Amino acid sequence: MATAGQDGIEAMTLAIRNLVQDRTRLLLSVAGVALATMLVLLLNGFVTGFNQQLSTYADHTPGSVVALQKGGRNLLVSTSLIPPTSREQVRAVDGVDEAIPVLLRTTILELQGQRRAIYLVGYDRALGGGPWKLTAGREPAADDEVVLDRVLASRHDLVVGGTVRILGRSFTVSGLSDQTTSWMLSFAFLRKGAAESLFLTPGATSLLLVKPSPGVAPETVRDRLRERTGLGAELKATLAENDRQFFLRYFSPPIQLMAAIASLVGALVVGLVLYTATIERQREYGMLKAIGARGRTLYRVTLLQALAVTALGVLPGVGLAFAASGLIEALRPQFSNAYDARSVATAIAASFVMALVATLLPTRVIARLAPADVFRR
Amino acid sequence: MTDHRGAAPPESPSTTLEVTRVTKRFGEGATEVVAVRDVSLRVAPGEIVLIMGPSGSGKTTLLLMLGALLRPSSGQIRLDGAILSALPESRLPDIRLRRFGFIFQDFNLLSALTALENVAIVAELAGASGKIARARATELLTQLGLSQRLHFLPEKLSGGEKQRVAIARALMNDPTFILADEPTANLDSKTGRDIMRLLRSIAKEQGRSIVIVSHDQRIKDIADRVLWLEDGTFAQATEMAVDPSEEAARSPA
Amino acid sequence: MLRFGLRNLFQSRTRLLISVGGVALALMLVLSLDAIFLGMERQLSAYIEGSSADVFVAQSGVRNMHMASSSLPRAIVDRVARVDGVADATPLAYVSTAVLTKNEQYLAYVIGLPPDASLGRPERVTNGAHMVGQGDVVIDGPVARAGVGVGDDVTILGRTFRVVGVSDAYGSVFNSFAFVPLDAFRTYGSDAVSYVLVRAQPGVAPSALAERIEAEVSDVTATVRADFAKQEIKVINDMATEVVAIMNLIGFVIGLAVMALTMYTATIARRAEYGVLKALGVRTARLYRAVIVQAVVTVALGLAAGVAFTLLVAAIVPRTGVQLSLALDAGSVAKTAAFALAITALAAVLPILGIARIDPAIVFRRRIA
Repeated sequence: MATAGQDGIEAMTLAIRNLVQDRTRLLLSVAGVALATMLVLLLNGFVTGFNQQLSTYADHTPGSVVALQKGGRNLLVSTSLIPPTSREQVRAVDGVDEAIPVLLRTTILELQGQRRAIYLVGYDRALGGGPWKLTAGREPAADDEVVLDRVLASRHDLVVGGTVRILGRSFTVSGLSDQTTSWMLSFAFLRKGAAESLFLTPGATSLLLVKPSPGVAPETVRDRLRERTGLGAELKATLAENDRQFFLRYFSPPIQLMAAIASLVGALVVGLVLYTATIERQREYGMLKAIGARGRTLYRVTLLQALAVTALGVLPGVGLAFAASGLIEALRPQFSNAYDARSVATAIAASFVMALVATLLPTRVIARLAPADVFRR
Repeated sequence: MTDHRGAAPPESPSTTLEVTRVTKRFGEGATEVVAVRDVSLRVAPGEIVLIMGPSGSGKTTLLLMLGALLRPSSGQIRLDGAILSALPESRLPDIRLRRFGFIFQDFNLLSALTALENVAIVAELAGASGKIARARATELLTQLGLSQRLHFLPEKLSGGEKQRVAIARALMNDPTFILADEPTANLDSKTGRDIMRLLRSIAKEQGRSIVIVSHDQRIKDIADRVLWLEDGTFAQATEMAVDPSEEAARSPA
Repeated sequence: MLRFGLRNLFQSRTRLLISVGGVALALMLVLSLDAIFLGMERQLSAYIEGSSADVFVAQSGVRNMHMASSSLPRAIVDRVARVDGVADATPLAYVSTAVLTKNEQYLAYVIGLPPDASLGRPERVTNGAHMVGQGDVVIDGPVARAGVGVGDDVTILGRTFRVVGVSDAYGSVFNSFAFVPLDAFRTYGSDAVSYVLVRAQPGVAPSALAERIEAEVSDVTATVRADFAKQEIKVINDMATEVVAIMNLIGFVIGLAVMALTMYTATIARRAEYGVLKALGVRTARLYRAVIVQAVVTVALGLAAGVAFTLLVAAIVPRTGVQLSLALDAGSVAKTAAFALAITALAAVLPILGIARIDPAIVFRRRIA
């Protein structure tokens, strides 16, 4: 019959009604929470999306093992150079089905007055390592042809048949590729010979994409390559993961800074609403204390309000994030946002933590309320 | 609504409230102010005591001490036999909740809750379940003639109705002692009289002690005793018991 | 009215703090992102600006170092040296790659210079030797700050080098520097260099010299130092533009929401006072002024706090070892101030509407609950 606690329906009713009595204020505070949640989600989605873009070359090219310069730990982030004889050496190792040579280098293109970073890939069309999905045209068939990423091309009004200057030489765009861009740089594909000539490194190769023979484990091939050739060897997935970790190290701090700021804003918004809601009701809360309500009860009223505002705000926040991502990707396809259940759950949890922090302020107000004041004139 | 907590149930004394030589000092040394000086008082069950006095007489301070919101500097206050001043701070809210009823000058209803919810919440605070609280609240409010106003927000109630809701709230936890601070100050004269009569019937018919602190001369009509507080002490006491008009005592509040 | 508005504003210290804080944070979203990119840019161009070269000669079409690849045949160096007006021509090989220590890898600009190089050398070598001989390396930046010092070995491009000197001039967030002998770059028969650093003879204008070099030497691009540095920055800038634009928009909207909430709650809280003033005959327009003053002061304080805090973060972060570098410039502050102004104007709308609606009769109603 009698419960141990002091609260129940009426306390909850009080909490919600107090909050809802001022519609405009409630709306503005919900908007604030929604925006903060949206930003946190966007930032994390951006990182996830960028990660996917980073590994696009590794994900879509043949081979599960990579032979590279000894000591190399990255696929794209750092330069690697191996002797022209490497290919024969590697193919001679048993368990190796094929070794695909590619020559990689970053360069800057000047397009319509803008400087765009490009990942130049010199490859052999017969062997692979080039674009895996074309949306227009074909792969380069001559040394003065290049395949550009379609997003880059559309940003700069380039079409199949158009011309682009790379390192002082003119190239004709023979095709446009897909899934080959990020907000930082895009891929461009040339014939290997053309790349060697551009870089003044005849016969040079950056890496070999190695395909194990059927039934042979990639790890086995990797180990054999390490033992039997003077080259470095690693699983392609590992190299790609190292690339990701590398970028994460540099992107994390700024992203986290922004996310922290966004979270603080959310906490402040909730804090302001709760504070004003509590201050307005000082007399009422003081009266409740006077007639015997414990501070605990009032704290719970505050907590409930914090949770209510946050709950109202996070869902629109998630919706806003999805909408904003969609808009950004539509207008600027080089940005890619990706969400999974975990990131959404984390963002929502973070919002509720913000709400808890926000209750500190009204709690202080309640603690300071002197019930005796209810009799003051 | 009986008190399930605490030690042995209080004896049924012939005195509900016993104030013995209570003094309250504020400040120290040169800045010391003695707001209440050596005040003693006894209130029997069902008795109505009116405390009057000019501003600055210490009425508010005495009120606060009677309401267990302020500890005396010296002296003792007993309620139903229990020495309030000896209880730890942490037990006082419970005492206030279960043994006292408060009525305020400004009504002090929760503006976001309906009349019914305003009354029910005090029972909930004392641990009763929502359903039981609401049932009792409905009963009380009906007795006070507010059955048509149960779901109204305070802003939709007249002054008299609000004070009646406040009275219902004060009665919810079955207190032995009701403390009223200027209960008629914000009411017109007719409504004020109705409220006064209501308080008298509560005291007499339900055996609850009521201490009223007020300027309102007309409350003398219902009080059993009038005490005059001036400069922190009781100056004179008048024993009087004059019932207000008999026919009014018959009519429902 | 000014005093009334200000008094109201400062009366509730807590509310003022919250609103100033909220605005500061929202503006910080804008400021700190700008600061991050500016920090990146500044450090990118540090090596270039600090070199004593007047002109940078590169493969045709190349005007910067970061993420660029430039290859010039070795013979070009002599041809450049022979151009009239050239006092000194130093070849420089450059690659962006990983420097491997025992446990870690650091992305570095690896710079190969001839032993007698007079240009492009590491500045401010704080520890150890300057000149780099066979198998030696001088390091700078995060790899050095991580504790790698004189006598330690590092692996670059598959080969081991011994650290003979540590400098502290160019290290940036992303990149360390490693100065090795030019010969170390000679791989697989290729004799190519990346850039030729040129110093002009006294009295010769660098821009004129650059033009002459381009005219007399085929397939090269010659850029004066200032432009080279600018182009270096432009790469980051062009990459960053849209990211910055998106964050600016979001920061603006958030700042607006916070300010709107703040102004609104502040005005509602003072409803009674505004009612009194209206009843006393104060014209509504003057009340608006009070609100606007509050808005301006709040946002101004928020802007100051945002800038101050960004500068604080910029000062502290490098010391914590976090890979983040912030720099604030007047342009960013001006832009943020413009946002702040817009926020102020828009945020004042709600409370102004609220004030217009206050009924002065409210003052005659008794306090009842």
